[in-house]
Amino acid sequence: MKFKAAIVIGVVIAGLAAGVYFFRPHTFHGTVIQSPDPSYNFTLTSANGNVSLSDYRGKLVLVYFGYTFCPDICPATLANVGQALKKLGDDKASQIQTIMVSLDPERDTPEKLAEYVAHFHPSFIGITGSNEKLAEVTSLYGIFYERSQGSTEENYLIDHTATLLVIDREGYLKLVFPFGVTVDEIADDLKYMLRQ
Amino acid sequence: MNKYLLNGFYALFAVIVISAFAFKIFQPIKVLPRMQLAPAFNLTDQNDEHFTSEELRGKFVLYTFTYTNCPAPCYNLNTTMQEVQSRLSEVELGDVDVAFVTVSFDPDRDTAAVLKTYAEAIDADTTKWSFATTTNKSLLKTIIGAGFETYYEDNGDGEFSFTPSFVLVDGWGIVRAEYRYQTEVPDTDRILRHLGVLAEEVSNSTGTSKLAYEAAHLFLCYAP
Repeated sequence: MKFKAAIVIGVVIAGLAAGVYFFRPHTFHGTVIQSPDPSYNFTLTSANGNVSLSDYRGKLVLVYFGYTFCPDICPATLANVGQALKKLGDDKASQIQTIMVSLDPERDTPEKLAEYVAHFHPSFIGITGSNEKLAEVTSLYGIFYERSQGSTEENYLIDHTATLLVIDREGYLKLVFPFGVTVDEIADDLKYMLRQ
Repeated sequence: MNKYLLNGFYALFAVIVISAFAFKIFQPIKVLPRMQLAPAFNLTDQNDEHFTSEELRGKFVLYTFTYTNCPAPCYNLNTTMQEVQSRLSEVELGDVDVAFVTVSFDPDRDTAAVLKTYAEAIDADTTKWSFATTTNKSLLKTIIGAGFETYYEDNGDGEFSFTPSFVLVDGWGIVRAEYRYQTEVPDTDRILRHLGVLAEEVSNSTGTSKLAYEAAHLFLCYAP
């Protein structure tokens, strides 16, 4: 009898542990934003014409600010996003739109941007615009950028905030990934958001 | 045995549900909401130097918005900024610094030299309190109006109409609190309390305690 009781207690404890694990809330790898307002809608230019953030309402939208001459941070982040989409599979990836906003309109033409982002995933879109428009958009998304000290007119780097932003299906900024987020972490959070 | 097992799982389910309700009702952990990303900026400060949002990363920042010709007491904005600074020692902040920023929306008159004179006149400690603006009025409107959601308008007679406000931003550049309306509790007391809540969250931002704080966000356990 004591043996049976011990088994029952053991099973209940195991069940409790499994239950806590099963019912636990998703722990986001990015920082969750609980904004009461939709994120700022903007329109910039791609190789195929104007693109607005609101064009992708109904999809998750990943927005990354960078530039094609970026030596390390931008390609590393975009490569991770591309791999995360591959990991999620075509069905889920089709519900996600990744947009790279170039902070370097002088060198990054829309055509060059299109060619650049296609290296990371065929669904990626590259957009840019005037310096005035970029100043407005970046400010409202908390993205600081400036040309590095010591740059020349033709050959320069741009220091910029390297966060990856996730806009939900309703157009609200939901998640901010810091630089260094891994493929698995991106895929895990996106998978959860697609279920909602 | 099946009966025991069934009862065990009922008990398990009850424990989980009751725990969730208890967390929501008793709110053992308080947090401030992550309201939105604070705007990024590149302004000019009272020393005529670049003053950027990037320099403030890692610090809690209390912003307010005004113009130096605002007739005193000008909604007590400076008084509140000074009170918060003088009473900071009442809050357990750990290793986190607090910066204070007054942004002027009158760049025509509030040049760097004027801002410097103004800071000296109100005896501001400029090692932690900066005064800044930009002559790019369109961008200034974007930063203050759209980014910090603070209304202001030039009346054309040398005065501005504006909503007096304070905005508290955390070290990740996320707006965590806004103070726009008169309440029964003075702004200084609320701001100091909120700084303490933020500091506590920062000191518990790793390991298992992070999970508890994320649960507090999930259950909207917001500090009053």
